[in-house]
Amino acid sequence: MITVDKLIFEYPGLRALDAVSFKIAAGSITALVGPNGAGKTTLLRCMAALDQPVSGSIVIAGIDVIEQPRECHRIIGYLSDFFGLYQRLSVRQCLHYVARAQGIAEPDCAAAIADVSQRLHIQDRLEHSPAELSRGLRQRVAIAQAIIHKPPVVFLDEPASGLDPEARHELAELFISLRNQGMTLLVSSHILAELEAYCSDMLVLRQGRIVEQVAVNAPAQTQPYKLVLAAAVENLPAILQSIAGISVISCEQNRLALLQIDENISPQHQLLKALIALDLPVSEFAPVANNLQDTYLQTIRQQP
Amino acid sequence: MNLNPELQRQLILECSPARMIGAPTVLGAVFTLTYFLDGYQLGNLTAQASLTLFMLINLLWGTRQTADSIVEEYRDRTWDTQRLSALSPWQMTVGKLFGSTSMVWYCAAMCLLVYSLATDNPAALPLLYFYALGTSLLVQSAGLTLGLLAVQRGQYKTGSILGLALLGFVIVAPQLADISSMSGYLAEFTQHRYWYNIAVNQQYLHQISLFCALFWCIMSNYRLLAQDLGLRNLPWAWLGFSLFLMVYLGGFIPNSSYAFSLAAFGVCILLTYVGVIVERHDPLRIKRLMAYWQQANWRRVGEEMPLSALSFSLSLPFAIFLSFHQQQFAWLNISLHAYPLAVALLVLRDCAVYLFFCYGKNPQRAFSLSLLSAALLYGILPGLFSAIGMTGVAALFFPLWADSAIGALLFAAIQCGLILSLLYRRWQQSI
Repeated sequence: MITVDKLIFEYPGLRALDAVSFKIAAGSITALVGPNGAGKTTLLRCMAALDQPVSGSIVIAGIDVIEQPRECHRIIGYLSDFFGLYQRLSVRQCLHYVARAQGIAEPDCAAAIADVSQRLHIQDRLEHSPAELSRGLRQRVAIAQAIIHKPPVVFLDEPASGLDPEARHELAELFISLRNQGMTLLVSSHILAELEAYCSDMLVLRQGRIVEQVAVNAPAQTQPYKLVLAAAVENLPAILQSIAGISVISCEQNRLALLQIDENISPQHQLLKALIALDLPVSEFAPVANNLQDTYLQTIRQQP
Repeated sequence: MNLNPELQRQLILECSPARMIGAPTVLGAVFTLTYFLDGYQLGNLTAQASLTLFMLINLLWGTRQTADSIVEEYRDRTWDTQRLSALSPWQMTVGKLFGSTSMVWYCAAMCLLVYSLATDNPAALPLLYFYALGTSLLVQSAGLTLGLLAVQRGQYKTGSILGLALLGFVIVAPQLADISSMSGYLAEFTQHRYWYNIAVNQQYLHQISLFCALFWCIMSNYRLLAQDLGLRNLPWAWLGFSLFLMVYLGGFIPNSSYAFSLAAFGVCILLTYVGVIVERHDPLRIKRLMAYWQQANWRRVGEEMPLSALSFSLSLPFAIFLSFHQQQFAWLNISLHAYPLAVALLVLRDCAVYLFFCYGKNPQRAFSLSLLSAALLYGILPGLFSAIGMTGVAALFFPLWADSAIGALLFAAIQCGLILSLLYRRWQQSI
């Protein structure tokens, strides 16, 4: 759905994006993470054809963004980190304007506004001015503006900043619902715990380079298992290798092991039975939670 | 009805019911007062007041509105919302130009109506309507152009634009006042003037000129908006405008190649200065341009080419032609010579000086620092050396003082080489 190839963007005296290349599959929700100043917003703005890179290419749904920026605008939704709402209009007027400006015909605008406001739970705020709304509600109005024309691709720059936990949960549900409708989302955020709830992939950007692109929330059977014993057992790796269908990823102090289990192996309890049968003092045996924050920190630490 | 969305938004903002009622109430009070002062009739005072109000409203308020229609988008950070829309540059131009001034036109129309009822010279009304509407649209459109240029340079205050609008008001107001009088109308209608060798009706020339100015002003808005929306365009509009000015200022149909070349050279030089001052100077644009040049991607080179560079390139053939057909003369008997190629190099030097300051740490001061440099290079330093009898040294700073074209060219080339090398070094530091 999205292909970025050797993208270079420079500010005077600073290379903000350095030969960035990646692909994003259709129907995915990708988290764009990285430290402050890594180039996340710049990358999103380039992909939204708002800023012009020095070189490289961006193709979204077959459209060359750099060559055809206006065609790109028709198929994307973009939420900037400062919302871009008209304070002198009511929420309904804001949505109506964006709907019309995105090419929705006048007779269809009311239905589009009703649909998007219901999805974002702002139907009772339509007559308010954005200036009267809380940050969380303004955020929702801005997201409504970004998706009112039902674009196949949506870029969101820090969508959850300033939201309370309940609003974040609703936002996560909204993103999953948008993905289920076939949209592809790229979400930049600092709040990794919240991204974990809905992201399928993670792009790690550091000093203008993509340092990692990993799948998160992978199916449980492909995840490693962690085994913790109550006491150390001599020659633990060899004992574990003797069980069919298990490979040992790592073993520490003959007490803690990370195991990779074959996808076709019988359920977890049968494996546990085998471990107990070997008289191992098992105190913990569970899939390793593929925590986005852990993955991110691991990635960041591994890179020079 | 599928109304232009930007026009619709502006109408919602501008034409609130309170304003639709309030404006006629205030104007009604003013005209009631002038009615009483006129001795309970719509007389001369009412006519003058309505025309003055029309001009104030349309030229000052209207210009502010059009400039604000774009500057506010940047200030309120809503411009990206518009850039991400499917609106075309033409829709935006129309929406901003006519939408932001909808209330202005509503009030101005009332003033014009009162003037039409109060004037003692109804025969002049059609011409007055034409000029009133034409000049108002021109000034408002220029306000939008200036607003677009200001935001491209990162200036989000409209004070300087209003200053220019005030200047426009001072220029236009007396003209309209003249037209409103019967004597001026009849006298000018029959007057013929010579434009080079062509006898033209002055009134027609004014009207055509107004149309042309309005066309190019709206075209500039369209192109600037297209540029901001990320549309890539070759500089055909700028070339067209250059050609138009050459033909217009060169006397329409050239009867003398020397006179035409002189006018064309002047136009190119003027547009070089205009281009370098109004364009956004991003050092990375030059980097992109050079990358495209190395890739032999000529279309992109054309798109990234600064307009000032284009005008300067156009001036060179005329400079060469004029150099070979030079009519020897000295200006004002002060030994100041016309060496076209040296003049072209001085223009290049001036542009390089401006860019040198633009790529510095305080680009917002580039214009004032360039003016200061120009005062030193054109006036103070040559004047100083000339005053103490060192004319040769004076010519080093201002090559047109030199007694020979070769000498002038050499001095200008030395200056250009020096400043261009400094500019190149500063550009490298800034990328």
